[in-house]
Amino acid sequence: MPFTAKSGKFNASIKTVTVGTGDKAITLGGENVLPFYTFDAPIENAPKVGIEITDFGMENEPECVKKYYEGCTTLADIAKKAASFEGVDFLSFRMEGGDPNGANKSTEELMAALKEVADAVDCPLVVSGSKNAEKDAELLSKAAEAVQGKNAVILAAREENYKTVGAAAGLAYNQIVGAESSVDINLAKQLNVLLTQLGVNASSIAMNVGTAAAGYGYEYVASTMQRVKAAALSQNDTQLQMPIITPVASEVWGVKEAVTTEEDMPEWGCQERRGVDMEVQTAAADLACGSNAVILKHPTSVATISKMIKELV
Amino acid sequence: MALKGLDIFKLSPKKNCKECGSPTCMAFSMKVAQGAVDINACPYFSEDAKAQLSEATAPPMKTVKVGAGSEEFTLGGETVMERHEKTFVSKTRYAVALCNCMDDVAIDAALAGIPKVEYERIGERMYVEMVYVNYAADGATDYVELVKKAAALGRTLILGCTDAEVAKAALAVCKDGKPILNGATPDNYADMNAVATEAGVVLGVTGADINGLYDTVKALEALGNKNLVIDTTGATVKETFANTVQVRKAAIKDGDRSCGYPSIVNLAKVAKDDMHLQSALAAVFTIKYGSIVVMQEMTYSEAQPLYGLRQNIFTDPQKPMRVEPGIYPLNGADENSICLTTVDFALTYFLVSGELERSGVPCNLIISDAGGLSVLTAWAAGKLSSGTIEKFWKEHDIEGKIKSRKLIIPGKVAVLKGEIEAKLPGWEIIIAPAEAAQLVKFLKDMNL
Amino acid sequence: MTLFDVVFSGNDTVYGLTESAIDAAIAQHGADKAVAFPDTAYSLPCYFGVTGTKIANLGDMKAALDVIKSLMTRNKRLNDVFMSGVATALCAEFIEVLKYMDGATPYEAPCYGHLGDAIIRELGVPLVTGDIPGVAVILGAAPTAQEGVDLVKSYQAQGILVTLVGGIIDQCEELGYKTGANVRVIPLGKDVTSVIHVVSVAVRAALIFGNIKGGDAAGLMEYTFKRVPAFVNAFAPLDPVIVSCGAGAIALGFPVITNDVATAEAVNIKVPKSLIVQPDVSKFNATSLEARDIKIKITHIDIPVAFASAFEGEIIRRGDMQVEFDGSRVDCFELVQTKDASEIEDHKIEIIGPDIDEMEVGSKQSIAYVVEVAGKTMQSDFESVFERKFHSYLNCVEGMMHTGQRDMIRIRVSKDTFNAGFRLKHIGEVLYAKVKSEFAAVVDKCQVKIYTNPEECTKLRHELAIPVYDKRDERLTTLTDEGVDVYYSCIMCQAFSPSHVCVVTPERLGLCGAVSWLDAKATNELDPQGPCQVITKERPIDERIGEYEDVNEAVRKFSQGALEDVSLYSIIEKPMTSCGCFECICGIEPLSNGVCIANREYAGMTPIGMTFPELASMTGGGVQTPGFMGHGKHFIASKKFMKAEGGIERIVWMPKDLKEQVKDRLNATAKELYGIDNFCDMIGDETVAEDPETLLAFLEEKGHPALTMEPMM
Repeated sequence: MPFTAKSGKFNASIKTVTVGTGDKAITLGGENVLPFYTFDAPIENAPKVGIEITDFGMENEPECVKKYYEGCTTLADIAKKAASFEGVDFLSFRMEGGDPNGANKSTEELMAALKEVADAVDCPLVVSGSKNAEKDAELLSKAAEAVQGKNAVILAAREENYKTVGAAAGLAYNQIVGAESSVDINLAKQLNVLLTQLGVNASSIAMNVGTAAAGYGYEYVASTMQRVKAAALSQNDTQLQMPIITPVASEVWGVKEAVTTEEDMPEWGCQERRGVDMEVQTAAADLACGSNAVILKHPTSVATISKMIKELV
Repeated sequence: MALKGLDIFKLSPKKNCKECGSPTCMAFSMKVAQGAVDINACPYFSEDAKAQLSEATAPPMKTVKVGAGSEEFTLGGETVMERHEKTFVSKTRYAVALCNCMDDVAIDAALAGIPKVEYERIGERMYVEMVYVNYAADGATDYVELVKKAAALGRTLILGCTDAEVAKAALAVCKDGKPILNGATPDNYADMNAVATEAGVVLGVTGADINGLYDTVKALEALGNKNLVIDTTGATVKETFANTVQVRKAAIKDGDRSCGYPSIVNLAKVAKDDMHLQSALAAVFTIKYGSIVVMQEMTYSEAQPLYGLRQNIFTDPQKPMRVEPGIYPLNGADENSICLTTVDFALTYFLVSGELERSGVPCNLIISDAGGLSVLTAWAAGKLSSGTIEKFWKEHDIEGKIKSRKLIIPGKVAVLKGEIEAKLPGWEIIIAPAEAAQLVKFLKDMNL
Repeated sequence: MTLFDVVFSGNDTVYGLTESAIDAAIAQHGADKAVAFPDTAYSLPCYFGVTGTKIANLGDMKAALDVIKSLMTRNKRLNDVFMSGVATALCAEFIEVLKYMDGATPYEAPCYGHLGDAIIRELGVPLVTGDIPGVAVILGAAPTAQEGVDLVKSYQAQGILVTLVGGIIDQCEELGYKTGANVRVIPLGKDVTSVIHVVSVAVRAALIFGNIKGGDAAGLMEYTFKRVPAFVNAFAPLDPVIVSCGAGAIALGFPVITNDVATAEAVNIKVPKSLIVQPDVSKFNATSLEARDIKIKITHIDIPVAFASAFEGEIIRRGDMQVEFDGSRVDCFELVQTKDASEIEDHKIEIIGPDIDEMEVGSKQSIAYVVEVAGKTMQSDFESVFERKFHSYLNCVEGMMHTGQRDMIRIRVSKDTFNAGFRLKHIGEVLYAKVKSEFAAVVDKCQVKIYTNPEECTKLRHELAIPVYDKRDERLTTLTDEGVDVYYSCIMCQAFSPSHVCVVTPERLGLCGAVSWLDAKATNELDPQGPCQVITKERPIDERIGEYEDVNEAVRKFSQGALEDVSLYSIIEKPMTSCGCFECICGIEPLSNGVCIANREYAGMTPIGMTFPELASMTGGGVQTPGFMGHGKHFIASKKFMKAEGGIERIVWMPKDLKEQVKDRLNATAKELYGIDNFCDMIGDETVAEDPETLLAFLEEKGHPALTMEPMM
């Protein structure tokens, strides 16, 4: 007697969001099954992998990342190099230096940096803020203007600044609005509702429901993503059907498994390998739980996750 | 479908005799419904009632025990597909693969590598729990000898062997450790069944595809063996994922009991020599239904995120993870360094300690017992108050251990400041920002 | 003359001017001559917005006049007035665009004339976010230059974008008042037709931000009405052209406020909320904001000391205290009262009695503060919700301590804070700012009265406050499930109990004990997308167990399908689920045919054979567990407590502490429902029994009613 499985295909599906323009544009979402459940139905658009660079260039990067960018002197060089690595579907530019509690770079300086990056590459673009909601309101609305016509993801509008970021990115300059909430299905939904009420088209929203490095409270991440997908697909909750894009790099490269040097912990072995494993495992978990795109930092991580996606889809 | 406790109670003897160990029949019935005790623990349930209930109360997935002594653990027994529905009960176990086709140098290196990963994380011992010993007919090394060497590590073995005679010989040297014999195929299952049953070990079912697996399980069940695991490894990563998910789904969602066995996922086979890919896939199969995940290698690189992830996934969705209360000196702090306090909710601890480490400021993080709740929840529940802090200070002799008299309390419970000042005379109480992310700047601005 | 006559004649005048201007231009340049505004992708934005047609040259304009003419119906209905107003606006746009022929720059500083798309995208974002709370269009000259400038200044101070047309521009120049886009005071032009440039902004905002398609006139007007918070201030004298422009503004949803009493009386027609006569120019601001429903965000609290949650736990010791208001010794109270909008002057703070500097250092004083609020969606049920927040507001003031509530408050002000200049009016500032900002969704206006005369405090406490408190308590006790039309869902704890949904009814508060029906209602009003949503109860399935089709649908939705159906009043049939944060759990004790209740604090064994943690592990997690249910302490004395199984008569056991807490109310309910005196004495506790047999013996001795009730199972 052969094995017979009931199909797990849903009547509802995740909305598709296209990022970028021209040949290199990518489409996120579209599936009507759980992540990688190709046996239930084909996955319309395989998950995508992005690579992250910041306005600091290579200044704050670990040695193991720097070595891949040898010879790059300008942000434009770095951006071009980043986009050229195997498996890169899109580039994420994070304006880390805007944080008022950090370098507190001016909006003008960061916009110049952003334009340099945007002009250097033709792949789809994600523009991320400084993590400071107040500064990001200004930074990201200017960014939306600066990359007009690029159909970029502006990451992200949060509860505190969604009106400004949403209006600029989603209404004034026709970009894709990233909607960021902190690991809670109801907050994720609420933000989507608020953004659509503001007038942002539901098909111009991608969610960042939050993530944590593997081992760091990841249970909340897993459950949030899984519940979002369940609500979107089995309950046809249209306010949760936006694809999910998850910035992994900024979470994983700060935990002790990735930052402790081999000198300090000889028994832990190679630091680079540890960093990459922390990054690929977190990314793999995010994808298994429902992310439609992940943003990584190490070129080996990008290649590995890209290969894993090809193997699974 | 799980039965409600009340339905079981209705069929119970209602004697409150306590012979089952529960104080009342109601309590007993509720525990049976939860799957916490076996209905046979009650001597007075009528056969009729038991028959009525056994079908309904039998879990959709078998719980299988492997290993012996301190290394005994359970696999399977899951009742839900996703962790938020109900706690996953048997965590994924990780194995490192050996093969008699490897040369001696490689074997010795692998054997030496396995015990290296050994550490504790939030009260849990992290190590390679199992060793997968594969048998290749044309392997150069003697399989039984290899099994002996592997057994000497004291980890539970999985014998990957489809030759009944070889398996028998190998089991002769290791069966006391209750290994898994992974090697029943559509062709050899009867012989393998005899070998496994005789040795009293769990039998693993392998097959070319999911239909072969399913048929073999049915055939073994017909022979009366339900002490099984299913090796869902396919020819490719994609097929392996499909097998693993579909088997689990058929068991839990569709009630197909012949799929209700733990799984073995052999990444050393489908992602051979690509350790980062194995690492990524191990994370996927920890979330998606791998009862045992076999890796080519397990170093700190793979282990740290993986074991951390497992610790996260296999938690009670309603019970937050806790860290041990106590003093955690950070950044080389000593008794004169400034103190901060927060709750023992693991997520809070990780966030706060992470930011404090980032600040580079030497400080003592004092974690008090707050029932594993977050700051505001603990405060609302009375588990974080000036009283609990005072009590903790006394019980742990904080003033004897620390000379600093500056204490930073979470911004969200600024309201406690005055009371703590009253309860801890001599301490200067400072209010931290409301969010951990602001700690680095806050400490910097304090100019300690 | 009627309003119709005025509007129609103004419209006809402008139409005539437009027609002859176009004809003259064609005669001079030919019909193929291109016309366009600079820096816009929307052609003639107003005409494009209304009709969907782009105009490229003079010939197109001539042809378009027929379209405009078709709007100019003369049936003397209000709609004719509005459409003629729109026609006037379109004509104005035509007249203005002619000025821009051949790349001319018809406007000189300080006037802007046409505004390009880039400015709109830039201004549009703060408009959508509410950072620019409104757009004022000031037309004509104020009675005096000073009054005009004062009006401009008042809007500017509120962050409102001000556009100026006509005489007001000269008045600003006369007094040297700074204008320009950077200070958000934009002079458009001195001709009345230049008002079209601000209309053009509103239209393009709809096209760009509202995704309205050109030609969707209805969608356009809906957008400008709902999303562009503009209004017109038109100074006397109004001529027919201005009035007909005003009709166009009203058509877009922008109210017109004028001081031209004479004309308004002459035309003798009222367009409620849209055409408002306010003879006092100094009140234009308040009248306009109220008419357009604009709320100014409050971001700053005007007090001389810091305000932060870091001060919430401060304790002011006797020696450090300047003065103390002590409700336990003298008459004090705090109160929120709903008033009619006309009774309130926003941000008015009145001190009635001596201020702190007139009080003896270290003395005990009386205080009573009444916060009066008004709002279109304000309900008196919210008063107590606001009032409960005062405690945390006042505690956040540096050097101020507040405890208690209602007429049992105690407040201390420290010497340092007093020396920094803190006085009673600052209490008013804090309460005003917090109430206005946190409850902006329901509070439009707010004023504070602070009394410190002992006699007055005593009088008001007894005559004003206590009756209000009594009325509220009365309302709480009389609020029944049957008496309301809706219940509320609460999913505040889904973060850790994903499928759990509380259905909060007046007689069944949330099982955590923290969310009453009124709280849920207020939460919903204040945060409509938040955790508490309205559940109707129109389709009952079974009144006995309290099952409704509406409730089931809501539960299904909010649990993401995990839960199918729940009853409100039964613990055996489809009982409500529990998250894990319940105050109490009740469970069936079969031997005595009743239920035992255990509260979270109780550590011992219950006669059910399970401790609270054991019960909790079975009952939590949003799973239905027939026979067991989590609930709040307050619910124990409710008439709806397991009503389907016979109600509170079933309670056979609860821990002594819990029994003490609920005794009075439980006894009262038992007396009312069953005529039983001192019901609590019949209920067992841990001092009587921790096992079912001993409990049963006790119940038999007491003659507990549960023993003779129908079997529960």
